Amino acid sequence: MTRVTLDRLTKHFAGADGASVRDLTLEFPCGELTALLGPSGCGKTTTMKMIAGLIRPCSGEVRFDGRSVLHQPPEVRGAVMVFQNGLLFPFLSVAENVGFGLRMRGTPRAEIAARVEAMLDRVRLPGIGPRRVQDLSGGQQQRVALARALVTEPRVLLLDEPLSNLDAHLRSEMRDLIRDLQRETGITTILVTHDQEEAVVLADRIALMFDGELRQFAPAAEFYARPRDRQVAEFFGGANFVPGRAAAGVFDCALGRLPLPAGAPEGTGCLTVRPENILLAEPGDAGALAVTVIDRVFLGTQTRLVVLAGDLTLVLIRPPAEAARLSPGDAAAIRLPPEAVWVLPERP
Amino acid sequence: MSDRRKIVLMLVPALIVLGGLFLGGLGIGLARSLNWMPVIGLTEPNLDAYRAVLTDPDFLWSFALSFHIAFTSTLLSLVIAIAAALMIRRTGRGGALVRFLFQLNLTVPHLVGAIGILYLFSQSGSFARLGYQVGLIDRPADFPALVFDPAAIGIILQYVWKEVPFIGVILLAQMQTIGADYESAARSLGATRWQAFRHVLLPMILPGALAASIIVFAFAFGAYEIPALLGQNHPAALPVLAWRSYTDVDLAARPQAMAMAMVIAAMSLVLILAYLRAARGRIGGRR
Repeated sequence: MTRVTLDRLTKHFAGADGASVRDLTLEFPCGELTALLGPSGCGKTTTMKMIAGLIRPCSGEVRFDGRSVLHQPPEVRGAVMVFQNGLLFPFLSVAENVGFGLRMRGTPRAEIAARVEAMLDRVRLPGIGPRRVQDLSGGQQQRVALARALVTEPRVLLLDEPLSNLDAHLRSEMRDLIRDLQRETGITTILVTHDQEEAVVLADRIALMFDGELRQFAPAAEFYARPRDRQVAEFFGGANFVPGRAAAGVFDCALGRLPLPAGAPEGTGCLTVRPENILLAEPGDAGALAVTVIDRVFLGTQTRLVVLAGDLTLVLIRPPAEAARLSPGDAAAIRLPPEAVWVLPERP
Repeated sequence: MSDRRKIVLMLVPALIVLGGLFLGGLGIGLARSLNWMPVIGLTEPNLDAYRAVLTDPDFLWSFALSFHIAFTSTLLSLVIAIAAALMIRRTGRGGALVRFLFQLNLTVPHLVGAIGILYLFSQSGSFARLGYQVGLIDRPADFPALVFDPAAIGIILQYVWKEVPFIGVILLAQMQTIGADYESAARSLGATRWQAFRHVLLPMILPGALAASIIVFAFAFGAYEIPALLGQNHPAALPVLAWRSYTDVDLAARPQAMAMAMVIAAMSLVLILAYLRAARGRIGGRR
């Protein structure tokens, strides 16, 4: 198991060759699966390639278990990258693809054959070794790419958007496979993705990047409950932002004086509450706010309500049975549970 | 009018030129090589000309020389073009200029190139005089014979000069399509830089490299003007020998000239078929 540390890692590109990374300091814990999450162009793939040794940073350090690996070429680093579209070598069979890394290291043929077969079993593709890679489905190709990386027993496994080219059904299958294999092998794994759902489901921790900078590094749940700023909250589906000022455990804003949970930041900023955490109340309940319903959209398992509180628009997501009695134009009441709100300080 | 018919109609002028001039010429050549020329009363075709040609040591020497010229030029051009394409593909700033300069030769006619070689490399050429001036050789005539030489070095130099950019441009385009990611994947799996080239990039550019090489080989084997300008008199390259027989005062040599031309044409046909096979081996095709 390997601990990967990035220390003030920086990369600038002259042209439009890639997304820049600025001053990135981050520690990927031993044996965990960490997601590098962010919109496209935020520098996450650049970061991954610097860890793999495929891009040389302008400054900063990459350390494996505390030792710098910057002087090591990619082939000896032991950080194997699985690319977005698998990138299987089209002129080799499935087995030759999986055995490629071992062949380059000079592993004896018989051992390669045995390890390739065992690895194909582990990715649940037994017996497809002799097939042409062109004859595989997208999901199978991605699993072969994963097998090709794992068979070399890497110190660090780097997954670059491994699910983005798969349809919904294959996606969840592949997701389970990645999670299972990662837990079985305990290989320190870094997953690059732009999909927050993918990151939340797969990763122990998420590093969220915007514009080449790390914005928040935390377990998934914190991004929902304690986002660091408005951009983070919006990236994770947050929709309600009420400007105001936090002091002494309460937030003064257009909705009144709202109690805050312990540890909430103080000062001017925005109050945020997730759409699914706003509750419907009876008019006249203690702490209830009077609102007017302006829109209702049935989403299948949930219903989305848009309400107007004074001149503030708030979005709620409620179970359909609960929301069914409300129609646009109706007066209603809502409640913001103190433990479900959070303060986003203004960015300096 | 259906689209199909329109396309056929639009192709007619080109087909007339191709069918009439090219295939027609080829047909007449074939007939004459078989001693069939009704105009002068030869109406019984035979293989005499081929028999005479194929047992003539001069012809065999010329065939071997042309093969040597074509094979050596192609191999050298291919190796240099691969190396050049590898260097050029990653040039960042100024890359466009480098590419432009690399391709510049493509627009220069072969004949101009040949005259350049003559001026530079012959024993009375610039390099010979330069070598003499700086004292490397005692007389300009001591300069090694690179033009009109038995090993056809001047001819090969000219072809390499002209064909490296041709193959290189094809390879560059192919490398651009493939991108750097396959090699990156190989490197991260444990391949050294050389292994990534040898085991990943090379097999992927092979179909294109092969197709381009076949074109170069066919051209170098069948072209007349460069060996005529830069080659020695005896043995001469095959197309030169064929032309000499054709223009011989002895009319009886005509069928033999045509037989030689037919041998060159047959060689081209074989190469065209090989080219079509290679070109079908697109990226992703198995060997």
